[in-house]
Amino acid sequence: MSYAVEFDEVSRSFGAVRAVDNVSIAIEEGTFFAMLGPSGSGKTTCLRLISGFERPNAGHVRIFGENSENLPPNRRPVNTVFQDYALFPHLNVRDNVAYGLMVQGVDKRSRHGRADEMLSLVKLGDYGDRKPAQLSGGQRQRVALARALVNKPRVLLLDEPLGALDLKLREAMQDELKALQKQLGITFVFVTHDQGEALSMADRVAVFNDGRIVQAGSPEDIYQRPRTRFVADFVGSANVLSPALSQSAGSAKAWHSLRPESMELAKAESGRLAGTVASIRYIGPVKRVTVDLGGDQLTVAVPAERTVPEPGTRVGLNWSDASIHRMEDE
Amino acid sequence: MHSERAPLALKIAAFAGLAFLHLPIVLIFVYAFTTEDRSYQWPPPGLTLKWFGVTWNRPDVWASLGLSLKVASVSTVIAIVLGTLCAAAVSRAKFFGRESISLLVILPIALPGIITGISLRSAFNLGDIPFSTLTIVLGHATFCIVVVYNNAVARFRRLSGSLVEASADLGANSFQTFRHVILPNISTALLAGGMLAFALSFDEVIVTTFTAGQQQTLPIWMLEELVRPRQRPVTNVVAMVVVLVTFLPILGAYYLTRGGTETAGVGK
Repeated sequence: MSYAVEFDEVSRSFGAVRAVDNVSIAIEEGTFFAMLGPSGSGKTTCLRLISGFERPNAGHVRIFGENSENLPPNRRPVNTVFQDYALFPHLNVRDNVAYGLMVQGVDKRSRHGRADEMLSLVKLGDYGDRKPAQLSGGQRQRVALARALVNKPRVLLLDEPLGALDLKLREAMQDELKALQKQLGITFVFVTHDQGEALSMADRVAVFNDGRIVQAGSPEDIYQRPRTRFVADFVGSANVLSPALSQSAGSAKAWHSLRPESMELAKAESGRLAGTVASIRYIGPVKRVTVDLGGDQLTVAVPAERTVPEPGTRVGLNWSDASIHRMEDE
Repeated sequence: MHSERAPLALKIAAFAGLAFLHLPIVLIFVYAFTTEDRSYQWPPPGLTLKWFGVTWNRPDVWASLGLSLKVASVSTVIAIVLGTLCAAAVSRAKFFGRESISLLVILPIALPGIITGISLRSAFNLGDIPFSTLTIVLGHATFCIVVVYNNAVARFRRLSGSLVEASADLGANSFQTFRHVILPNISTALLAGGMLAFALSFDEVIVTTFTAGQQQTLPIWMLEELVRPRQRPVTNVVAMVVVLVTFLPILGAYYLTRGGTETAGVGK
């Protein structure tokens, strides 16, 4: 398997701040790769190390096996969809999309033809003559996408491209991006702080914290088997069991994670743990029941059609041995 | 609020203010047509167009007008090049002492012209540089740069940094980025700054008196003329021309820079 992008012990500091700290990753060609993390975790700097707007202080960034240190951004086989789209305000949509071809010296007729093709790919075929200011946020986002794809990059970098869109539009764009990636077959590297977005779209996810990769793997890995408390916390609403609580539930004395949907309610005396129901929330198809264990709180997801005990009732909690997952101390 | 009519007193005050500002200029225009050529009498004893002909045939007027145009054009060109580069450096890069440099660039326009004039004159003396058109141009360039810089720096701040990155990302080299992205986005600011610089240079007196040798720019020529009571209305004719020559670029600059408060390139 050949790698589109490889990070080999890469570090990048800004003054005293280590934005990227000894990161190694290998992104396989043709995958949809998500870099997930809170703001300031180094994921955007990693993206800029690939596009060439940042240089590593240590380590190597290889693009298709070649060291990229001496390649300026304009000579890398990658293109970026910027967070604020960065459309050229003085050019119309067609010329924006054709920009990459124009600077290569492609003649006007063929570059406009290619631009129109790309615009129909992103379903904006009729918008070529408009100025960016006349478009909605979602439309600008598509123009930015078409502009980045017109040069036929081998890797497309997307820097929180859906951040500025409202929820409904964002979900539609997620599906479209995923479909587009399949259709084009090129590598997408996607930066986001939205765990739902990362897990639903990507083939592989790297979770960033404090400039390091805490865990990299398939969305299922990350979701079911978070490696540290940070991942469990950040990626979703997994229950985190402290070493003491784990021990009293019959597991080893270490941090554990437990998905709400892997647990079920039982009679107080027959559960691995027992506590009182603190609150019940209805979220679409499930009810989330929060059980208070005298300090610790665990959440259980129960199918919405099932009846659950009233708040204040004592209940027991059960789960199978396979569903509890031991995490590393950190 | 806007539908209410202004009270009478406010109207009178506004008109009085405008009259105070502009009546003297009207007076200059009127005296360009007077028949009396030794003193400024009011009302003018008669009206005539002969001073236009007289002015036309005065070689000293043409010489100083030519010099003024030349000086203003050259200093404007210098100001556009240096002012833009300076603005680009200050707004694009982060470096030690950036704020101080920004202040130092603006300082010449805050400094009294007489200080600029004296310091330039002693500098030219020290450097054994003979006074010439070049020294006048250098003097004017000091304050022309500020005008261009101020216009350009404001526009650079509005130009989103990711536009330049987007251009590089799409394969453009630095020159192509400047030509196709930066220049189209700052050109109106440069034009406006250049016009203001031209107008400032065209009517500058103080710095010019210190940096010119025997040459006379148009404002200096006018100053000399007022001392001599000979063909006085010629000065008024010239003044009219100066008002028109400087007013048009300023009007142009005003129209070019008004509006457009949105940040170029931020698409949200």
